[in-house]
Amino acid sequence: MSTTELSEEYRDCFQEITNVAMGQAADKLARFLDVFIILPVPNVNMLEPSELAMALGAVNRSESVSAVCQGFIGSGIAGEAMLIFNDSTFQEIAQLIKADTDDSNKLELEILMDTANLLIGTFLTGLAEQLEVRFSLGQPSVLGRHVNIEDLIKINEHRWKQTLTIEINYKIEGSNISCDLLILFTDDSVNILKQKADYLLE
Amino acid sequence: MTISEEFKAMHWLMDIVQNIDVGLLVLNREYEIEAWNGFMENHSGLMAERIKGKNLFEVFPEIDKKWFLEKAEPVFLLDNRAFTTWEQHTNLFHFKNYHPITGIVDHMYQNITISPLKSVRGVTDQISIIVYDVTTVAVSKLLLAEANQKLEKLAQFDSLSGLNNRRHWEELLESEFLRCKRSETSSSLLFIDIDDFKVINDNFGHSCGDSVIREVSNHIRSCQRETDHSGRYGGEEFAIILPDASVQQASNMAERLRKKIEQQLFEINGTQQRITISLGIAEFKSDFNNYVDWIDAADQALYKSKHSGKNRVTVKET
Repeated sequence: MSTTELSEEYRDCFQEITNVAMGQAADKLARFLDVFIILPVPNVNMLEPSELAMALGAVNRSESVSAVCQGFIGSGIAGEAMLIFNDSTFQEIAQLIKADTDDSNKLELEILMDTANLLIGTFLTGLAEQLEVRFSLGQPSVLGRHVNIEDLIKINEHRWKQTLTIEINYKIEGSNISCDLLILFTDDSVNILKQKADYLLE
Repeated sequence: MTISEEFKAMHWLMDIVQNIDVGLLVLNREYEIEAWNGFMENHSGLMAERIKGKNLFEVFPEIDKKWFLEKAEPVFLLDNRAFTTWEQHTNLFHFKNYHPITGIVDHMYQNITISPLKSVRGVTDQISIIVYDVTTVAVSKLLLAEANQKLEKLAQFDSLSGLNNRRHWEELLESEFLRCKRSETSSSLLFIDIDDFKVINDNFGHSCGDSVIREVSNHIRSCQRETDHSGRYGGEEFAIILPDASVQQASNMAERLRKKIEQQLFEINGTQQRITISLGIAEFKSDFNNYVDWIDAADQALYKSKHSGKNRVTVKET
Protein backbone atom coordinates (compact mmCIF):
# COMPACT_ATOMS: atom_id res chain seq x y z
CA MET A 1 0.00 0.00 0.00
CA SER A 2 1.50 3.27 -1.04
CA THR A 3 1.50 5.95 1.60
CA THR A 4 1.25 8.67 -0.97
CA GLU A 5 -2.33 7.87 -1.86
CA LEU A 6 -5.37 8.30 0.26
CA SER A 7 -8.54 6.67 -0.99
CA GLU A 8 -11.91 8.37 -0.55
CA GLU A 9 -12.84 5.73 1.99
CA TYR A 10 -9.87 6.43 4.23
CA ARG A 11 -10.18 10.15 3.82
CA ASP A 12 -13.83 10.02 4.92
CA CYS A 13 -12.92 7.85 7.86
CA PHE A 14 -10.10 10.15 9.02
CA GLN A 15 -12.38 13.10 8.50
CA GLU A 16 -15.04 11.53 10.69
CA ILE A 17 -12.50 10.78 13.43
CA THR A 18 -11.27 14.35 13.16
CA ASN A 19 -14.81 15.73 13.41
CA VAL A 20 -15.34 14.03 16.74
CA ALA A 21 -11.95 15.01 18.17
CA MET A 22 -12.10 18.60 17.04
CA GLY A 23 -15.62 18.96 18.40
CA GLN A 24 -14.37 17.92 21.81
CA ALA A 25 -11.48 20.36 21.53
CA ALA A 26 -13.77 23.19 20.45
CA ASP A 27 -16.10 22.47 23.36
CA LYS A 28 -13.26 22.96 25.84
CA LEU A 29 -12.04 26.11 24.11
CA ALA A 30 -15.58 27.48 24.14
CA ARG A 31 -15.91 26.79 27.86
CA PHE A 32 -12.48 28.28 28.56
CA LEU A 33 -13.13 31.50 26.64
CA ASP A 34 -16.91 31.53 27.12
CA VAL A 35 -17.58 32.01 23.41
CA PHE A 36 -19.11 30.11 20.53
CA ILE A 37 -16.67 28.31 18.30
CA ILE A 38 -17.54 27.91 14.63
CA LEU A 39 -16.68 24.40 13.61
CA PRO A 40 -15.25 24.07 10.13
CA VAL A 41 -14.96 21.09 7.87
CA PRO A 42 -11.51 19.68 8.51
CA ASN A 43 -9.16 19.09 5.62
CA VAL A 44 -7.51 15.70 5.46
CA ASN A 45 -4.87 15.40 2.79
CA MET A 46 -1.50 14.09 1.78
CA LEU A 47 0.48 17.29 1.44
CA GLU A 48 3.94 18.34 0.41
CA PRO A 49 5.72 21.07 2.36
CA SER A 50 5.15 23.53 -0.46
CA GLU A 51 1.41 22.88 -0.35
CA LEU A 52 1.17 23.22 3.38
CA ALA A 53 1.45 27.00 3.51
CA MET A 54 -1.29 27.35 0.93
CA ALA A 55 -3.60 24.98 2.78
CA LEU A 56 -3.75 27.15 5.86
CA GLY A 57 -7.07 28.89 6.16
CA ALA A 58 -6.46 31.25 9.06
CA VAL A 59 -3.41 32.97 7.76
CA ASN A 60 -2.72 35.07 4.80
CA ARG A 61 0.66 34.29 3.32
CA SER A 62 1.86 37.84 3.69
CA GLU A 63 0.94 38.19 7.34
CA SER A 64 3.15 37.50 10.29
CA VAL A 65 2.30 34.53 12.45
CA SER A 66 3.31 32.81 15.67
CA ALA A 67 3.21 29.08 16.23
CA VAL A 68 3.61 26.39 18.84
CA CYS A 69 4.26 22.75 18.08
CA GLN A 70 4.02 19.65 20.20
CA GLY A 71 5.20 16.17 19.36
CA PHE A 72 3.19 13.04 20.07
CA ILE A 73 3.97 9.36 19.79
CA GLY A 74 2.33 6.08 20.73
CA SER A 75 1.36 2.68 19.31
CA GLY A 76 3.41 3.24 16.18
CA ILE A 77 1.77 6.54 15.37
CA ALA A 78 3.87 9.67 15.62
CA GLY A 79 3.66 13.23 14.51
CA GLU A 80 3.45 16.82 15.49
CA ALA A 81 0.57 19.10 16.27
CA MET A 82 1.03 22.71 15.31
CA LEU A 83 -1.07 25.67 16.32
CA ILE A 84 -0.68 28.75 14.16
CA PHE A 85 -1.96 32.17 15.12
CA ASN A 86 -2.18 35.23 12.99
CA ASP A 87 -0.36 37.92 15.01
CA SER A 88 -3.15 40.41 14.42
CA THR A 89 -5.63 38.29 16.41
CA PHE A 90 -3.78 38.44 19.74
CA GLN A 91 -5.26 41.75 20.71
CA GLU A 92 -8.82 40.51 20.27
CA ILE A 93 -8.10 37.42 22.32
CA ALA A 94 -6.53 39.55 25.04
CA GLN A 95 -9.78 41.52 25.24
CA LEU A 96 -11.75 38.30 25.31
CA ILE A 97 -9.89 36.88 28.28
CA LYS A 98 -9.74 40.33 29.90
CA ALA A 99 -5.99 40.20 30.22
CA ASP A 100 -4.70 42.77 32.64
CA THR A 101 -1.10 43.06 31.57
CA ASP A 102 0.47 45.68 29.35
CA ASP A 103 3.35 43.46 28.41
CA SER A 104 2.01 42.35 25.04
CA ASN A 105 5.02 40.19 24.33
CA LYS A 106 4.46 38.11 27.44
CA LEU A 107 0.71 38.06 26.95
CA GLU A 108 0.96 36.75 23.40
CA LEU A 109 3.12 33.89 24.60
CA GLU A 110 0.65 33.03 27.36
CA ILE A 111 -2.26 33.06 24.91
CA LEU A 112 -0.33 30.96 22.46
CA MET A 113 0.57 28.36 25.07
CA ASP A 114 -2.83 28.25 26.79
CA THR A 115 -4.68 27.79 23.53
CA ALA A 116 -2.18 25.19 22.38
CA ASN A 117 -2.58 23.27 25.64
CA LEU A 118 -6.33 23.21 25.19
CA LEU A 119 -6.70 22.52 21.50
CA ILE A 120 -3.80 20.15 21.00
CA GLY A 121 -4.35 18.32 24.28
CA THR A 122 -8.06 17.67 23.76
CA PHE A 123 -7.76 16.95 20.08
CA LEU A 124 -5.11 14.31 20.62
CA THR A 125 -7.03 12.77 23.53
CA GLY A 126 -10.11 12.54 21.32
CA LEU A 127 -8.08 11.06 18.47
CA ALA A 128 -6.39 8.52 20.75
CA GLU A 129 -9.67 7.41 22.30
CA GLN A 130 -11.21 6.65 18.93
CA LEU A 131 -8.16 4.83 17.66
CA GLU A 132 -7.86 3.02 21.00
CA VAL A 133 -4.27 4.05 21.50
CA ARG A 134 -2.43 6.19 24.01
CA PHE A 135 -0.10 9.03 23.10
CA SER A 136 2.83 10.47 24.95
CA LEU A 137 3.02 14.22 24.50
CA GLY A 138 6.30 16.07 24.45
CA GLN A 139 6.84 19.51 25.92
CA PRO A 140 5.41 22.07 23.51
CA SER A 141 7.88 24.46 21.98
CA VAL A 142 7.50 27.82 20.35
CA LEU A 143 8.26 27.27 16.70
CA GLY A 144 8.49 30.91 15.77
CA ARG A 145 7.10 34.27 16.68
CA HIS A 146 6.25 37.08 14.31
CA VAL A 147 7.53 35.19 11.32
CA ASN A 148 6.34 34.60 7.80
CA ILE A 149 4.30 31.41 7.43
CA GLU A 150 6.55 30.09 4.70
CA ASP A 151 9.68 30.60 6.80
CA LEU A 152 7.97 28.73 9.59
CA ILE A 153 7.33 25.64 7.54
CA LYS A 154 10.58 25.85 5.62
CA ILE A 155 12.55 24.95 8.74
CA ASN A 156 12.22 21.23 8.24
CA GLU A 157 11.33 21.09 4.61
CA HIS A 158 14.17 18.84 3.60
CA ARG A 159 13.25 16.26 6.20
CA TRP A 160 9.96 15.18 4.70
CA LYS A 161 8.42 14.91 1.28
CA GLN A 162 4.79 14.26 1.87
CA THR A 163 2.79 13.87 4.99
CA LEU A 164 -0.72 13.10 6.11
CA THR A 165 -2.07 16.42 7.25
CA ILE A 166 -5.20 17.30 9.14
CA GLU A 167 -5.96 20.99 9.02
CA ILE A 168 -8.62 22.57 11.18
CA ASN A 169 -9.44 26.24 11.05
CA TYR A 170 -11.12 27.29 14.28
CA LYS A 171 -13.05 30.54 14.28
CA ILE A 172 -14.68 32.36 17.14
CA GLU A 173 -18.19 33.59 16.41
CA GLY A 174 -18.63 37.34 16.23
CA SER A 175 -14.92 38.10 16.03
CA ASN A 176 -12.05 38.01 13.62
CA ILE A 177 -10.19 35.50 15.74
CA SER A 178 -9.15 32.42 13.91
CA CYS A 179 -6.33 29.95 14.30
CA ASP A 180 -5.13 26.89 12.50
CA LEU A 181 -4.55 23.55 14.11
CA LEU A 182 -2.40 21.28 12.01
CA ILE A 183 -1.79 17.64 12.78
CA LEU A 184 1.09 16.23 10.77
CA PHE A 185 1.78 12.51 10.86
CA THR A 186 5.05 10.82 9.97
CA ASP A 187 5.24 8.70 6.83
CA ASP A 188 5.35 5.41 8.71
CA SER A 189 2.31 6.33 10.81
CA VAL A 190 0.02 6.39 7.81
CA ASN A 191 -0.14 2.63 7.32
CA ILE A 192 -0.90 2.07 10.99
CA LEU A 193 -3.60 4.73 10.87
CA LYS A 194 -5.10 2.93 7.89
CA GLN A 195 -5.06 -0.35 9.80
CA LYS A 196 -6.84 1.32 12.70
CA ALA A 197 -9.32 2.79 10.27
CA ASP A 198 -9.95 -0.68 8.83
CA TYR A 199 -11.30 -1.78 12.22
CA LEU A 200 -13.64 1.18 12.28
CA LEU A 201 -14.76 0.64 8.70
CA GLU A 202 -15.60 -3.03 9.23
CA MET B 1 1.47 -12.04 40.16
CA THR B 2 1.56 -12.95 43.80
CA ILE B 3 1.01 -10.36 46.46
CA SER B 4 4.69 -10.20 47.31
CA GLU B 5 5.68 -9.74 43.65
CA GLU B 6 3.15 -6.98 43.32
CA PHE B 7 4.50 -5.42 46.47
CA LYS B 8 8.05 -5.66 45.11
CA ALA B 9 7.05 -4.01 41.83
CA MET B 10 5.32 -1.28 43.77
CA HIS B 11 8.46 -0.82 45.81
CA TRP B 12 10.65 -0.40 42.69
CA LEU B 13 8.21 2.00 41.26
CA MET B 14 8.19 4.12 44.39
CA ASP B 15 11.96 4.01 44.46
CA ILE B 16 12.15 5.29 40.88
CA VAL B 17 9.63 8.05 41.51
CA GLN B 18 11.55 9.08 44.60
CA ASN B 19 14.95 9.15 42.88
CA ILE B 20 14.18 10.27 39.35
CA ASP B 21 15.86 13.55 38.51
CA VAL B 22 12.72 15.50 37.75
CA GLY B 23 10.45 17.11 40.30
CA LEU B 24 7.16 15.35 41.04
CA LEU B 25 4.40 16.57 43.28
CA VAL B 26 0.69 15.98 43.70
CA LEU B 27 -1.78 18.66 44.76
CA ASN B 28 -5.40 18.30 45.80
CA ARG B 29 -8.29 20.62 44.98
CA GLU B 30 -7.24 22.98 47.79
CA TYR B 31 -3.68 23.07 46.47
CA GLU B 32 -2.38 21.12 49.43
CA ILE B 33 0.69 19.03 48.81
CA GLU B 34 -0.03 15.30 48.83
CA ALA B 35 3.15 13.93 47.28
CA TRP B 36 6.67 15.33 47.08
CA ASN B 37 9.55 13.37 45.59
CA GLY B 38 13.30 13.37 46.26
CA PHE B 39 14.09 16.00 43.63
CA MET B 40 11.64 18.39 45.28
CA GLU B 41 13.00 17.57 48.75
CA ASN B 42 16.61 18.15 47.76
CA HIS B 43 16.12 21.34 45.80
CA SER B 44 13.71 22.94 48.26
CA GLY B 45 15.38 21.65 51.40
CA LEU B 46 11.94 20.65 52.70
CA MET B 47 11.27 17.00 53.47
CA ALA B 48 8.05 15.33 52.36
CA GLU B 49 6.95 14.54 55.93
CA ARG B 50 7.16 18.20 56.88
CA ILE B 51 5.38 19.55 53.86
CA LYS B 52 2.57 17.07 53.21
CA GLY B 53 -0.91 18.45 53.76
CA LYS B 54 0.31 22.04 53.66
CA ASN B 55 -0.90 24.61 51.18
CA LEU B 56 1.52 25.13 48.29
CA PHE B 57 1.20 28.91 48.29
CA GLU B 58 1.75 29.15 52.04
CA VAL B 59 4.93 27.10 51.92
CA PHE B 60 6.18 28.89 48.79
CA PRO B 61 4.91 32.47 48.94
CA GLU B 62 7.27 33.36 46.08
CA ILE B 63 5.12 31.38 43.62
CA ASP B 64 3.17 33.63 41.26
CA LYS B 65 -0.20 32.39 42.52
CA LYS B 66 -2.38 34.17 39.98
CA TRP B 67 -0.40 32.84 37.06
CA PHE B 68 -0.21 29.33 38.41
CA LEU B 69 -3.95 29.19 39.12
CA GLU B 70 -4.64 30.33 35.56
CA LYS B 71 -2.73 27.27 34.36
CA ALA B 72 -3.89 24.76 36.97
CA GLU B 73 -7.62 25.54 37.24
CA PRO B 74 -8.39 24.54 33.62
CA VAL B 75 -6.66 21.23 34.33
CA PHE B 76 -9.18 20.51 37.09
CA LEU B 77 -12.13 21.92 35.17
CA LEU B 78 -11.44 20.63 31.68
CA ASP B 79 -9.58 17.46 32.61
CA ASN B 80 -6.81 18.40 30.23
CA ARG B 81 -3.05 18.49 30.64
CA ALA B 82 -1.28 21.86 30.62
CA PHE B 83 2.30 22.62 29.74
CA THR B 84 4.26 25.74 30.51
CA THR B 85 7.74 26.70 29.34
CA TRP B 86 10.53 28.73 30.87
CA GLU B 87 9.94 31.28 28.14
CA GLN B 88 6.59 32.15 29.75
CA HIS B 89 7.77 32.00 33.32
CA THR B 90 11.38 31.34 34.25
CA ASN B 91 10.36 28.88 36.93
CA LEU B 92 7.56 27.84 39.24
CA PHE B 93 9.81 26.98 42.19
CA HIS B 94 12.68 29.37 42.77
CA PHE B 95 15.32 26.68 43.00
CA LYS B 96 19.05 27.25 42.62
CA ASN B 97 20.93 26.23 39.51
CA TYR B 98 22.01 22.57 39.59
CA HIS B 99 25.49 23.82 38.61
CA PRO B 100 26.18 26.31 41.38
CA ILE B 101 29.90 26.53 40.57
CA THR B 102 30.25 26.38 36.78
CA GLY B 103 26.77 27.60 35.83
CA ILE B 104 26.41 31.16 34.58
CA VAL B 105 22.98 31.78 36.09
CA ASP B 106 21.94 31.48 39.72
CA HIS B 107 18.50 30.00 39.36
CA MET B 108 16.94 27.01 37.67
CA TYR B 109 14.87 27.39 34.51
CA GLN B 110 11.87 25.06 34.55
CA ASN B 111 9.31 23.59 32.21
CA ILE B 112 6.17 22.41 33.96
CA THR B 113 3.60 19.78 33.09
CA ILE B 114 0.32 19.77 35.00
CA SER B 115 -1.77 16.61 34.56
CA PRO B 116 -5.21 15.75 35.90
CA LEU B 117 -5.40 12.73 38.21
CA LYS B 118 -8.69 10.90 38.36
CA SER B 119 -9.93 9.39 41.58
CA VAL B 120 -11.47 5.90 41.67
CA ARG B 121 -14.83 7.63 41.19
CA GLY B 122 -13.61 9.10 37.92
CA VAL B 123 -13.46 12.66 39.21
CA THR B 124 -10.40 14.84 38.74
CA ASP B 125 -9.68 15.84 42.31
CA GLN B 126 -5.90 15.95 42.19
CA ILE B 127 -3.28 17.21 39.81
CA SER B 128 0.27 16.04 39.36
CA ILE B 129 3.02 18.49 38.58
CA ILE B 130 6.24 17.55 36.88
CA VAL B 131 9.10 20.00 37.13
CA TYR B 132 11.81 19.71 34.48
CA ASP B 133 15.17 21.38 34.92
CA VAL B 134 15.86 22.99 31.54
CA THR B 135 18.52 25.45 32.66
CA THR B 136 21.15 24.24 30.19
CA VAL B 137 18.85 24.54 27.18
CA ALA B 138 17.42 27.87 28.31
CA VAL B 139 20.80 29.43 28.95
CA SER B 140 22.24 28.33 25.63
CA LYS B 141 19.15 29.63 23.85
CA LEU B 142 19.48 32.98 25.62
CA LEU B 143 23.20 33.17 24.84
CA LEU B 144 22.50 32.37 21.21
CA ALA B 145 19.92 35.16 20.99
CA GLU B 146 22.40 37.54 22.59
CA ALA B 147 25.14 36.50 20.14
CA ASN B 148 22.80 36.98 17.20
CA GLN B 149 21.96 40.45 18.44
CA LYS B 150 25.66 41.30 18.66
CA LEU B 151 26.24 39.91 15.18
CA GLU B 152 23.42 41.99 13.82
CA LYS B 153 25.01 45.05 15.40
CA LEU B 154 28.42 44.15 14.00
CA ALA B 155 26.90 43.76 10.58
CA GLN B 156 25.37 47.24 10.74
CA PHE B 157 27.95 49.43 12.40
CA ASP B 158 31.43 50.55 11.54
CA SER B 159 33.69 49.58 14.45
CA LEU B 160 35.97 52.64 14.29
CA SER B 161 33.40 55.41 14.02
CA GLY B 162 30.43 53.69 15.64
CA LEU B 163 28.30 55.02 12.77
CA ASN B 164 26.40 52.85 10.31
CA ASN B 165 28.72 51.03 7.95
CA ARG B 166 28.45 51.74 4.25
CA ARG B 167 26.41 48.68 3.36
CA HIS B 168 23.79 49.28 6.02
CA TRP B 169 23.77 53.04 5.41
CA GLU B 170 23.07 52.47 1.71
CA GLU B 171 20.12 50.28 2.67
CA LEU B 172 18.79 53.12 4.79
CA LEU B 173 19.31 55.56 1.94
CA GLU B 174 17.51 53.30 -0.47
CA SER B 175 14.45 53.08 1.76
CA GLU B 176 14.52 56.85 2.28
CA PHE B 177 14.78 57.27 -1.50
CA LEU B 178 11.71 55.06 -2.00
CA ARG B 179 9.83 56.91 0.73
CA CYS B 180 10.57 60.26 -0.95
CA LYS B 181 9.40 58.90 -4.29
CA ARG B 182 6.13 57.82 -2.72
CA SER B 183 5.39 60.76 -0.49
CA GLU B 184 6.99 63.53 -2.57
CA THR B 185 8.46 65.03 0.56
CA SER B 186 11.77 66.77 0.56
CA SER B 187 14.76 65.14 2.20
CA SER B 188 18.42 66.02 1.96
CA LEU B 189 21.64 64.13 1.71
CA LEU B 190 24.86 65.46 3.23
CA PHE B 191 28.36 64.26 2.33
CA ILE B 192 31.34 65.12 4.54
CA ASP B 193 35.05 64.69 3.90
CA ILE B 194 37.95 65.49 6.25
CA ASP B 195 40.31 67.94 4.55
CA ASP B 196 43.92 66.87 4.01
CA PHE B 197 43.41 63.67 5.93
CA LYS B 198 46.36 62.11 4.11
CA VAL B 199 48.65 64.71 5.69
CA ILE B 200 47.52 63.71 9.19
CA ASN B 201 48.11 60.06 8.42
CA ASP B 202 51.49 60.69 6.82
CA ASN B 203 52.78 63.05 9.53
CA PHE B 204 51.41 61.44 12.66
CA GLY B 205 50.64 57.81 11.74
CA HIS B 206 47.46 55.87 11.21
CA SER B 207 46.50 55.57 14.88
CA CYS B 208 46.31 59.37 15.04
CA GLY B 209 44.23 59.33 11.85
CA ASP B 210 41.91 56.84 13.54
CA SER B 211 41.42 59.04 16.57
CA VAL B 212 40.55 62.00 14.29
CA ILE B 213 37.93 59.84 12.58
CA ARG B 214 36.51 58.89 15.97
CA GLU B 215 36.29 62.53 17.10
CA VAL B 216 34.73 63.76 13.88
CA SER B 217 32.21 60.91 14.15
CA ASN B 218 31.32 62.03 17.67
CA HIS B 219 30.66 65.54 16.38
CA ILE B 220 28.48 64.17 13.61
CA ARG B 221 26.47 62.19 16.13
CA SER B 222 26.01 65.18 18.41
CA CYS B 223 24.90 67.46 15.54
CA GLN B 224 22.38 65.13 13.93
CA ARG B 225 18.70 64.79 14.80
CA GLU B 226 17.28 61.59 16.25
CA THR B 227 15.77 60.69 12.89
CA ASP B 228 18.90 61.29 10.80
CA HIS B 229 21.04 58.39 9.63
CA SER B 230 24.77 58.93 9.57
CA GLY B 231 27.28 56.50 8.15
CA ARG B 232 30.95 56.12 7.36
CA TYR B 233 30.95 56.06 3.59
CA GLY B 234 34.64 55.55 2.94
CA GLY B 235 38.03 56.12 4.61
CA GLU B 236 37.57 59.74 5.75
CA GLU B 237 34.23 60.27 4.07
CA PHE B 238 30.91 60.38 5.94
CA ALA B 239 27.33 60.79 4.86
CA ILE B 240 24.10 61.77 6.62
CA ILE B 241 20.54 61.20 5.46
CA LEU B 242 18.30 64.03 6.69
CA PRO B 243 14.67 62.96 6.26
CA ASP B 244 12.14 65.77 5.81
CA ALA B 245 14.88 68.41 5.78
CA SER B 246 14.96 71.16 3.18
CA VAL B 247 18.21 72.37 1.64
CA GLN B 248 18.10 75.31 4.03
CA GLN B 249 17.74 73.12 7.11
CA ALA B 250 20.47 70.81 5.86
CA SER B 251 22.76 73.80 5.19
CA ASN B 252 22.22 75.09 8.72
CA MET B 253 23.13 71.74 10.18
CA ALA B 254 26.15 71.40 7.86
CA GLU B 255 27.40 74.87 8.75
CA ARG B 256 27.02 74.13 12.45
CA LEU B 257 29.06 70.95 12.07
CA ARG B 258 31.71 72.69 9.95
CA LYS B 259 32.18 75.45 12.55
CA LYS B 260 32.33 72.99 15.42
CA ILE B 261 35.14 71.02 13.78
CA GLU B 262 36.95 74.18 12.73
CA GLN B 263 36.95 75.51 16.29
CA GLN B 264 37.95 72.26 17.94
CA LEU B 265 41.61 71.71 18.82
CA PHE B 266 42.52 68.11 18.09
CA GLU B 267 45.17 66.57 20.37
CA ILE B 268 47.52 64.71 18.09
CA ASN B 269 50.75 63.21 19.43
CA GLY B 270 50.88 65.82 22.18
CA THR B 271 50.44 68.64 19.68
CA GLN B 272 47.28 70.62 19.05
CA GLN B 273 46.08 70.60 15.48
CA ARG B 274 43.24 72.25 13.64
CA ILE B 275 41.19 70.16 11.26
CA THR B 276 38.58 71.19 8.75
CA ILE B 277 35.91 69.41 6.76
CA SER B 278 34.28 69.97 3.37
CA LEU B 279 30.61 69.31 2.87
CA GLY B 280 28.21 68.79 -0.03
CA ILE B 281 24.40 68.77 0.06
CA ALA B 282 21.86 67.46 -2.42
CA GLU B 283 18.13 67.62 -1.96
CA PHE B 284 15.96 64.76 -3.21
CA LYS B 285 14.73 65.28 -6.75
CA SER B 286 11.91 63.28 -8.27
CA ASP B 287 13.86 62.77 -11.49
CA PHE B 288 16.54 60.70 -9.72
CA ASN B 289 16.37 57.19 -11.15
CA ASN B 290 17.74 55.55 -8.04
CA TYR B 291 19.49 56.38 -4.79
CA VAL B 292 22.89 56.27 -6.53
CA ASP B 293 21.88 59.36 -8.52
CA TRP B 294 21.27 61.08 -5.21
CA ILE B 295 24.70 60.06 -3.91
CA ASP B 296 26.28 61.36 -7.13
CA ALA B 297 24.56 64.72 -6.73
CA ALA B 298 25.78 65.13 -3.14
CA ASP B 299 29.23 63.94 -4.14
CA GLN B 300 29.41 66.57 -6.91
CA ALA B 301 28.58 69.29 -4.37
CA LEU B 302 31.29 67.94 -2.08
CA TYR B 303 33.76 67.96 -5.00
CA LYS B 304 32.96 71.60 -5.59
CA SER B 305 33.66 72.44 -1.93
CA LYS B 306 37.00 70.67 -2.19
CA HIS B 307 38.01 72.51 -5.33
CA SER B 308 36.96 75.96 -4.22
CA GLY B 309 39.15 76.06 -1.13
CA LYS B 310 37.86 73.34 1.28
CA ASN B 311 36.34 74.00 4.74
CA ARG B 312 33.01 75.00 3.25
CA VAL B 313 29.47 73.82 2.47
CA THR B 314 28.20 73.58 -1.11
CA VAL B 315 24.64 72.90 -2.12
CA LYS B 316 24.03 71.03 -5.36
CA GLU B 317 22.29 73.42 -7.73
CA THR B 318 19.05 72.21 -9.18
